[in-house]
Amino acid sequence: MVNISQSKENSYGFKAVIPFLTILFLIIIMVLPYKIPLISDIMPFLTLIGVYYWSVFKPELLPIGVVFILGLLQDVLLGSPLGLMPLLLIVVQQFIYMQGRQFLERDFLFNWFVFVMIVSGFGFLSWGIASIYFKTLLDYWSILGQIFLTIAFYPIITGLLGITRKLVDR
Amino acid sequence: MKRFGQRFTAIFFILASLALLIFGRSQTNLIEQSRAQIFEVFIPAIVIVDIPRTATAGFSQWIRRIAVVFSDNEFLREENADLKRQLIASTELEIDNLRLKNLLLIKDGTVTTITASRIVSDSNSPFFKSMLINSGTNDGVKKGHAVVNEEGVVGRTINVSGNSARVLIINDINSRIPVKFSETGVNVILAGDNSGLQKIEFMPPDEKANVGDQILTSGMGGIFPPDLPVGNVSEITELGEIKIEPAVNLNRLNYVSVIEYEIASFPVLNQADAQAQGELEPEEGGAQW
Repeated sequence: MVNISQSKENSYGFKAVIPFLTILFLIIIMVLPYKIPLISDIMPFLTLIGVYYWSVFKPELLPIGVVFILGLLQDVLLGSPLGLMPLLLIVVQQFIYMQGRQFLERDFLFNWFVFVMIVSGFGFLSWGIASIYFKTLLDYWSILGQIFLTIAFYPIITGLLGITRKLVDR
Repeated sequence: MKRFGQRFTAIFFILASLALLIFGRSQTNLIEQSRAQIFEVFIPAIVIVDIPRTATAGFSQWIRRIAVVFSDNEFLREENADLKRQLIASTELEIDNLRLKNLLLIKDGTVTTITASRIVSDSNSPFFKSMLINSGTNDGVKKGHAVVNEEGVVGRTINVSGNSARVLIINDINSRIPVKFSETGVNVILAGDNSGLQKIEFMPPDEKANVGDQILTSGMGGIFPPDLPVGNVSEITELGEIKIEPAVNLNRLNYVSVIEYEIASFPVLNQADAQAQGELEPEEGGAQW
């Protein structure tokens, strides 16, 4: 069993880095200087969509160590406390594995519905951790905005990730 | 067995993240250096990904400029004439000011503009307000330099690599700037709270603030030179909290200047000593801000 999955992983060749690159690309998209009022407060959690998508559809290409590195990179580029994003993203990935990702591999609307719950948990967890970190109660309205915007962006980003997934499978 | 291994690695990485969160708080030199090295590597990638956005933004700006070129021209002509008049008046005042300062033996600190830089990335987060600029130690930027633009104070550098630096913006929750009320000269602290408005801390209870009061840097702390515009009092809440609207439009920042401020030595009060040290010479090229 182990050997089969191992050989499957090897057969991807350099395409195995596609999930990593797509999530890295989403991180960069998140830190561009948009200079649009409000956008800087309600930037959707694009990397969460990426990690969710690849953890459901191609978990063998997104090992936990890679999620950890991506989270760290996001913390460095955003200027957030080191360790915040790896922690949140790994918790999400483990949650998906615990629920059984085969269960999620089914249909889009169901996936979106589960994602709504995940993003809500993710948003408020990030708010909670940041509040503890700064030892002050941070404003939660913008987190609500981020959560809604992430839910709205989910179909677009997963659509684009679907195209790259076909590249991986080809 | 494999399942157990996966659980174990998951727990290991979760603990590693928690450890980073807890021990990274102290911002040791090593962590700071590694952060700087990493964002330095990614800046070219950010700039490339940003090309379509800058191109479209540039194009729409160009169209907008063309559309208003005539009305702008007329406005600028009038403004130019007005500014010329003001220039004459201010030059006179400057000479006067310098003469009086020399009489009083007041020494200004020196302000050096290190470099002008472009903003390449923004946190875009409700909790963390910082940005990356494309100048670093190679351009002479150091940690703790003030970052300003023509409108006023933007923030200060907190993490510098070879060709880039992270700037903590004045509205970040960790930002504290020594400021004063321009009219009364009361020294207070301007604290960011992640929102669009900043608040005043340590306001003496017997002092009063009014909406519209101008806030300038006080020059204390040695990072920001004195008398840079910071903002205006926009609101005083029922609880007496003083809210400041920043002078800089933080949503429209493209370029900023990094400046270095060196505090002058304390004025010599004893005239004879001063003469002995030859410090009565008028100082040229002092503060530009």
